[in-house]
Amino acid sequence: MANSSKKKSGLQRGESKAAFLFCTPAVVLALVFIILPFAMSVVYSFTNKQLIPKVGIETAFVGLKNYIEIFTSKVTVLSFKNTFLYALIVVPSVLVIGTVLAVFVNQKIKGVQVFRLIYFSPQVVTMTVVAVIWAFIFSSNSSGLLNSFLGLLHIAPQKWLQDQHLALPCLAIMYIWQNLGMQMLIILSGLQYISEELYEAAEIDGCTTFEKFIYITVPGLKNTLVYVLVSVIINSLKVFTQVYVLTNGGPSNATTTVVFQLYKAGFVNGQVGYSSAIAVTFFMLVMVISILQNKFAKED
Amino acid sequence: MRTAMSKRKKIIIKLCMYLGYLLIAAIFIGPIVFLFVSSLKPYVQIESDMSNIRAFIPYGDLSLDNYINVIVKADFFKFFKNSVVVTIIFVLLATTINAMIGYALGMLNFRGKAIIISTIVALSIIPTESIIINRFMTVNSLGMLNTYIGLAIPSVAYPMYMYLYYNHFKGMPKELQEAAIIDGASYWKIFTKIMMPLSKPIITTVAIMAFIRSWSDLLWPTLVTRDGTYRTLPLALKSLFSDTYTDWGQVFAFSTLMVIPTMILFLVFQKQFVASVTSSGIKG
Repeated sequence: MANSSKKKSGLQRGESKAAFLFCTPAVVLALVFIILPFAMSVVYSFTNKQLIPKVGIETAFVGLKNYIEIFTSKVTVLSFKNTFLYALIVVPSVLVIGTVLAVFVNQKIKGVQVFRLIYFSPQVVTMTVVAVIWAFIFSSNSSGLLNSFLGLLHIAPQKWLQDQHLALPCLAIMYIWQNLGMQMLIILSGLQYISEELYEAAEIDGCTTFEKFIYITVPGLKNTLVYVLVSVIINSLKVFTQVYVLTNGGPSNATTTVVFQLYKAGFVNGQVGYSSAIAVTFFMLVMVISILQNKFAKED
Repeated sequence: MRTAMSKRKKIIIKLCMYLGYLLIAAIFIGPIVFLFVSSLKPYVQIESDMSNIRAFIPYGDLSLDNYINVIVKADFFKFFKNSVVVTIIFVLLATTINAMIGYALGMLNFRGKAIIISTIVALSIIPTESIIINRFMTVNSLGMLNTYIGLAIPSVAYPMYMYLYYNHFKGMPKELQEAAIIDGASYWKIFTKIMMPLSKPIITTVAIMAFIRSWSDLLWPTLVTRDGTYRTLPLALKSLFSDTYTDWGQVFAFSTLMVIPTMILFLVFQKQFVASVTSSGIKG
């Protein structure tokens, strides 16, 4: 008995040592490239740290100055507004159209799988390429692709990406186009958990297709939709690529987003302290959403 | 009579469904078809075709000129090589290093395990974007700017991949490991010879996620590459596109070449591809 427990502790020591070695590479890399930069972001957000140290100006503690600047700088406030607006366009569109599409392709019809894959296929196209394709579609001259199409419907040509009010929705459409098929597939897999009997019962009660959708499909999808909701909110708050490739934040800052702004402040203007403050604010925003999601998930 | 009517009605409904499917398919695949078709046309024709349906039809003066230009003038293969090297380093390391910690957390007993697991969960909330400037500062002070290492390594340790592996290994039968230990196998041997070969599906999932991440990343390469030498494809496409004079033919040919590897991956690993992309939807 004593012998076997001794042997076990020897084994355990070997196990601990092995575990330590297995964890080391990931832990070291996470320390250097995640935890350290995160700590730097928090600390620097209270300083005037510059990317390239300026002669005569030492990095110093500036208290809440950077955070106050976030709320007083017109462009930064606008960047948060734009990001919310972008999410406000993307999230409901993806949820509603994604659900409708999922129900639409949830039929036992020959060839429907092929259509599902086709709807998913924009996901294969890298965002930089998506941006380039849609930039051409949104050409602002009257013979542009979309403008010509609208011309058939007697709608006047638009300036799209050069129009202050349309630029951000255009960037949102690109993301919706790329992302919709994927969310459709997630919702589709959620649909498989709704019992067929519910629909049959509703049929007997004389429910219309629309009523079945509202009273059976949507409540049955609750968990899936919360998951999609949160992931789409968080991902759409990170919008950067289209802005960087196509508009550079313009026209007149109408497409400056949070991530673009923190990139510009830190990397282009070299204000690492200020950029860090934007980054920390952005992180807190994402954290609150994640916590809310966990709370929602626990209620079920 | 009535049944004949309803049969007819059914066929009509079915036809309408297919029509609907096709219309929606056009929206999703139209821009991709447009990209491929336009990459074969000279710039002048792309412009003149864009006001009508011909934009989506391969007709007229089709040639591979754009592709030749992109390869000769725009140096496509230099950037392609950079992207390939960075992506290979990233995928190899991301699949193994995160698997190692996932294995330790899922199958071995040691002190501090619970703390590491909860740290991983906490770290997975941090969006990369919110630490990117200071990650850049770190890479800069390590002297890794403008290197393949600096491009690939910093995002290798990825909380979500760790968690996926951890979950996977937690569910593996412990008996397998115990039997191997009795046979005198080391943990490293158990990991490489038994556990990893049994983990092909999860490795494929993580590898595809890592591939897409690395292949399409634009922000990080923007920060850490100083000149054209280490520029990756998305960055090269951006500068080709932002030239004062945009040659759309070349831009589309470049884009097409850039999309092809992902497309092949999608066609070969359809099921796993969809699974990886949908499961990476939650936290990026």
